[in-house]
Amino acid sequence: MFFEQLINGITLGSIYAIVALGYTLVFGVLDIINMAHGEIFMFGAFVGMLLISYFEAPVLLALGGAVLVTAAMGLLLERLALRPLRGKKGASHLASLISTIGVSIILENLAHHLFGAGNKPFPTSFADASFTVGSTTVYLVQVIILVIAVLLMVGLSLWLRKAKAGKALRATAENLETASLLGINTGRIIVSTVVVASAMGGIAGVLVGMAFNYVNNQMGLPMGLKGLAIIILGGMGSVNGAMAGGLILGLAETFVVAYGNSGYRDAIAFVAIIVILLIRPQGIFGQALPEAKR
Amino acid sequence: MINPYYLQIASFILINIILGLSIYITLSTGQLSLGNAGFMSIGAYTSALLTVKVGLPMVAGILAGSLLAFLIGILIGIPTLRLQGVYLAIATLGFGEVVRVLFINWESLTSGAVGIAGIPHLGRTMLAGLQERGFSSEQWGLKNNEFISLTIFIILLAITVLLLAFFSRLFASRVGRAFRAIRLDEKAAEAMGIHTTYYKILTFSMGALLAGFAGALFAHVTGYISPADFTYHRAVEILVFAVFGGSEVLWGPVFGALFLTVMPEMLRGMSEYRYFIYGTILVVMMVFRPQGVLDQPLLDRLRGRRGGGGDDAA
Repeated sequence: MFFEQLINGITLGSIYAIVALGYTLVFGVLDIINMAHGEIFMFGAFVGMLLISYFEAPVLLALGGAVLVTAAMGLLLERLALRPLRGKKGASHLASLISTIGVSIILENLAHHLFGAGNKPFPTSFADASFTVGSTTVYLVQVIILVIAVLLMVGLSLWLRKAKAGKALRATAENLETASLLGINTGRIIVSTVVVASAMGGIAGVLVGMAFNYVNNQMGLPMGLKGLAIIILGGMGSVNGAMAGGLILGLAETFVVAYGNSGYRDAIAFVAIIVILLIRPQGIFGQALPEAKR
Repeated sequence: MINPYYLQIASFILINIILGLSIYITLSTGQLSLGNAGFMSIGAYTSALLTVKVGLPMVAGILAGSLLAFLIGILIGIPTLRLQGVYLAIATLGFGEVVRVLFINWESLTSGAVGIAGIPHLGRTMLAGLQERGFSSEQWGLKNNEFISLTIFIILLAITVLLLAFFSRLFASRVGRAFRAIRLDEKAAEAMGIHTTYYKILTFSMGALLAGFAGALFAHVTGYISPADFTYHRAVEILVFAVFGGSEVLWGPVFGALFLTVMPEMLRGMSEYRYFIYGTILVVMMVFRPQGVLDQPLLDRLRGRRGGGGDDAA
C-alpha cells in the first residue's frame, strides 16, 4: 500500500513538474506569469485524446501531435498577446498577466465549443497492464509516464546547460539587455522559450490523459494553479525548484488522498503557497529576494 | 412603465458596479486580486447561512458577511502583499478556488454543490414588513412583484450612489493620493514616507469587504446561491469590468459593469460567446488601451464639451 502510493505520488509529481517547468521557463526569461499555460496543457491533452481514440495512434505519435499543436499555440500566444505589450511605455507589469488571462478564457471556451463539456475518455491499449514487484502492483502506464517525464527533464536540463541555444536562454533569463548586447538574438530566444514551454505543457497534457484516462475542458485551471503553486514553492524561475516542487506536491496530494480527505486535494497547493510565502518567500531554490526584483 | 425584467437587469448592473469597484480599489495601489469571486462567496454564504439557519435579520447577515470577507482579506493580504504583485494574483486565484472547494465539500453546512435556496429576499422582506404596518402595493398603483423589483432597485441604487460618493471623496483625499503614489512607483512612494504595506493591505481588504458586501446583496436579491455562482469565471468577469471600463478612474468600472451587463441582454444570441468576448476584450485592451475605455483625459474632454453624454465613450 505505502509503496504503491509512493509510486502514484512520484508519477503525479513528475507530471506536475513538467507543467511547472513550462511556467518557470517563461517566468525566468520574460518575468511573466503565463496564465494561459494551463489551457495550452488542456489542448495538448485533447489533441492526444483525439489522435488516440479516433486515429488509434500510438502514444508517441499522440505526443508528437500534441507537441506540434501546443508549440503552434505558444507561437501565436507570443505573437498576439505578449509581443505587442513588450517594451510598451506605461504598460504595468500586470498587463501581460491580464492579457494571458484573456487568452486562457478564450482557449477554455474554444475547447468547450470544439469538444463539448464533460469528461472524454482517453483510451490507451495498456491502461490496465500491470506487473507486481514483491507485493507492490505497478501499472505500465506509470512506468511509461515516468520514463517520458524523466527523459524530458534530463533532456531539458542538458539542453539548458550544454546547448548553445540553452545557454543563450539562460543568459537572456539572467539579463535580457546584457544578453542582447552580447549578440544574442533575444527576440528569437523569447519566442523559442514560449514555444518550448507550451510544448512541454502539451506533453504534460497527454501524460495526464494517460494517467487519469479522461480529459475535459475544465482541467486547465486546477493544473495551472498547481503549476503556479509549484514555482512559488520551488522558487520563481528555478528549473530545479520546479522539478523538486512538482515531486513534493505530487507526493503530498497522493498521501493526503490516501490517508485523509480526497475532497480537499486541490486545496493542498494553495496551503503550500501561503505557508511558503510566510516562511521562505523566495521559494526552496530561489535566490533573489522577490522584493528586490520587479 | 415599471417592468420587473428591466428592473432586475438594473439591479444586477448595480451589484456588478459594486463588484467592479471592489477590484478597482485593489488595483488603485497596483495590486491585482483574482480572488474577488471568493470574497463574494464568503459574503454571500455567511449572510445566507446566518439568515436561513440562525434566523438573524438580513441587515445583520449582510454586515457579518462583509465583515468576515474583510477579515479574511486582511489574513490573506498580509503574507502576500509584502511581495511583488504576481504573488498576490496567484495566491488570490488559489484562494478563490479553495473557498469554492470548501463550500462544495462542507456539505453539512453549505449543502455542497446543491447550494442554498430560500434565502430571505430583499424585496419580499421589505414588502412583508410594510404590509404589517398596513401598507399595500396597490396604494402606489403597483402590483406586488413590481413593488418588490422597484424596492430592490432603489435600495441598491442608494447603496451604490453612497459608495461612489464615499470613494470619490476617499480618492481625492490624502489616502487616495497615497494609493496613486504607490501605484505609480512603490519605491518612490515609500521613500516619501508612505507606509506602502499598510495602504496595500488597506486597499486589498477594502476590495474584499466590497466583494463580500456585493455577494451578500447578490444572495438576498436572487434568493439562491451555489458554488457555481462564484467560479474563476466570475473573478475574470469582475476583472473585465475594470479592465474594459477603465482601471485608473472611478467611473471606469462603473461604465464597464454597466456596458458589459447590458450588452449581453441586448444581443441575446451573443451570450453563448460571452467569455470569448471577455477574453478578447482582455487581450485587445492590454494591447491597445491598457488603461481601459475611460481615462482621465477622456473624462476631461467629455466634461469640457458638456452634455456630450457618457455613451459616446463606447
